[in-house]
Amino acid sequence: MATTAKKKGFGSVIWEYMTTVDHKKIAILYLIAGGFFFVLGGIEAMLIRIQLAVPNNDFLSGGLFNEVITMHGTTMIFLAAMPLLFAFMNATVPLQIGARDVAFPFLNSLGVWLFILGGIFINLSWFLGGAPDAGWTSYASLSIDSPGHGIDFYAVGLQITGAGTLISGINFVTTIINMRAPGMTYMRMPLMTWTTLVASVLIVFAFPPLTIGLFLLIFDRMFGSSFFLVETGGNTIIWEHLFWIFGHPEVYILILPAFGIFSEVFSTFSRKRLFGYSAMVFSTVLIGFFGFMVWAHHMFTVGLGPTANAIFALATMAIAVPTGVKIFNWILTIWGGSIEFTTPMLYGLAFIPTFVMGGVTGVMQGAAPADYQYHDSYFIVAHFHYVIVGGVVFGLLAGLHYYWPLMFSTMLSEKLGKITFVLFVAGFHITFLIQHFLGLWGMPRRVFTYLDGQGYNTANMISTIGAVMMAIAVVVLVINIIITVAKNKQVGRDPWGDGRSLEWSLPLPVPYYNFAQIPLVRGMDAFWIEKEANDGKMMPAESLDDFHMPNNSILPFIMSLGLFIAGFGALYFASGKEWAISAVSDMPQHPWALWLLIIGLAITAGAMITRSLKDDLGYYVTKEEVLRDLEEEERGAK
Amino acid sequence: MAEIKQEPLSKSKLEYLRTQRTKEMRQQMVSFGMMIFLTFVAFGMVAMDLDSRFVIPIVLFMAVVQVILQFYYFMHMKDKGHEFAKLFIMTGMYFGIAFVVTFLYITWIGSPI
Repeated sequence: MATTAKKKGFGSVIWEYMTTVDHKKIAILYLIAGGFFFVLGGIEAMLIRIQLAVPNNDFLSGGLFNEVITMHGTTMIFLAAMPLLFAFMNATVPLQIGARDVAFPFLNSLGVWLFILGGIFINLSWFLGGAPDAGWTSYASLSIDSPGHGIDFYAVGLQITGAGTLISGINFVTTIINMRAPGMTYMRMPLMTWTTLVASVLIVFAFPPLTIGLFLLIFDRMFGSSFFLVETGGNTIIWEHLFWIFGHPEVYILILPAFGIFSEVFSTFSRKRLFGYSAMVFSTVLIGFFGFMVWAHHMFTVGLGPTANAIFALATMAIAVPTGVKIFNWILTIWGGSIEFTTPMLYGLAFIPTFVMGGVTGVMQGAAPADYQYHDSYFIVAHFHYVIVGGVVFGLLAGLHYYWPLMFSTMLSEKLGKITFVLFVAGFHITFLIQHFLGLWGMPRRVFTYLDGQGYNTANMISTIGAVMMAIAVVVLVINIIITVAKNKQVGRDPWGDGRSLEWSLPLPVPYYNFAQIPLVRGMDAFWIEKEANDGKMMPAESLDDFHMPNNSILPFIMSLGLFIAGFGALYFASGKEWAISAVSDMPQHPWALWLLIIGLAITAGAMITRSLKDDLGYYVTKEEVLRDLEEEERGAK
Repeated sequence: MAEIKQEPLSKSKLEYLRTQRTKEMRQQMVSFGMMIFLTFVAFGMVAMDLDSRFVIPIVLFMAVVQVILQFYYFMHMKDKGHEFAKLFIMTGMYFGIAFVVTFLYITWIGSPI
């Protein structure tokens, strides 16, 4: 990347990234934007922990604390974890299945720009009159009453990023079903590809309920409808159902790709094929399916009645079975392997016990009667941080180290990586293990302070110290990244030395067309097979010939920008209007809001019409160019 | 910009495609006719002021038939290579029905169970 940056001007690199449809560059965009939001969410987490470090603290006011916890949750789930997973999906999946790009490169670009602009939109709320403050779940009974435009930023911003995520989900489903190389049958796909497929299917089914819920909220708050207004016949429970019908699959959307990363890491660094591959695939699909049948376990205390609670409690516990299958398979993959303790492997090894702990507390909460005790206490906070940090974030950090050479053809420093690992894992357990006990001792979640003499002081201080350690770990990681990028020491093919799946068979940096010839896949762990049988050279499935590639386009950015502008129009539309809900009817009127809405939608529609009417047939990469690249690589290898 | 590379159709292939499409067209016209007919029957039953307990289930049944016709003949679910689409539609319908049933029971019609 850096060598091309030297050849090209800074402006042209920016333009290249704004118009790119190449999945590898889109992965980098996801990584940068997701990393930025991850740091932002981390800063919010630090603010929370500083506020709670000592009793009766007034570092943050109650209102500001609500905004910070809401934005911490929203940012971490929607703007950090999911995009970072999309970064690794984009970076690996087309390479793992032997494709030259995703099925819809244009939509891939549209997805990333919708996410970036939607994320910026939500975060602009900090500067434009206050962030959302009804929790990341934004229950309608709170969010309808929340004064100001904070909730509007949440609803419209999530709508924009959600559209991007839905688009990307459809894209990956299509890619994996249709674009596998010859010989890459479903039961030969690497686990990362399988989990991406199942997570994408979950996105396709789970995001529409969120979209509907958000639209209802937008209409209530901005256009004067009354879906959730109880006084005019609405029902706030519907929001809770819609949110959790989306929200529960959402946590599987997060964890499944992390499972995929770990499966790759375990088998690579144990130098063994994944134990019980078919059981792994089956349990992935099963987790995905069960994920839709359990949403009401977030609502046990709403008062659904004992029968409904019992049904959902049972379904919830059923999920522990396929997850347990996975845990045992990972352990048996490591068992007897020739283990290499690289940074990603260390994260993997830390992940197994951590995630099991999170899973066990999950089953505890799945027991509906017991959940009445845990509900809204710090026990819940501890549980979901154990699964989301211990599962997803460990997975992301493992993936960052593991796939870094694939994305940037340099290696992150192992030494600094291990320092990050120790600080992060230790800090994580110090922060969150004690929170289980805080919860059991009775400390409620989402409170901005607590009184002295309730027995919470020491535990909260320990928790804050752990959080500081995690922050230091992230700083070390950033330093690691800066050093690696500055040194820019290039590595060649298969940098870990034990790559098993197709993506490691490619030269680094990966050519923009990925495969000079689409490879023939002869079994699971395709690259490993060829290493043993064919000196690590993939057999081509086609003769060397011209092939077709898509053109770059600025239209996805323009479409997203249009929605971004229209978002502000929708947001300020109800301000000061007579028919609006009381939360915004006292605000100053903005007569330009309608025009902003119309102009924004017109920009998007214009870009869509341009895309439809102007034929963009792509271009051909010529045989000569590919041959030249192959020769150059040959010379480089000698 | 480069054009998409295309191979000319051979004569026998063209023949084959033509017969296939004629067949498809016939099927589509037949199912379209049936759908119109079912719609007329439904409207007719309502217009005749029959007992609603009799009309509603029949209209609902005919609606299901219409949906199946729609999916299979107009949205190509009968064709080969649509197994995944079929699987997705079925799963989506299963989830959708599950959501609606729960909503009916625990949100809309009264008391918790």
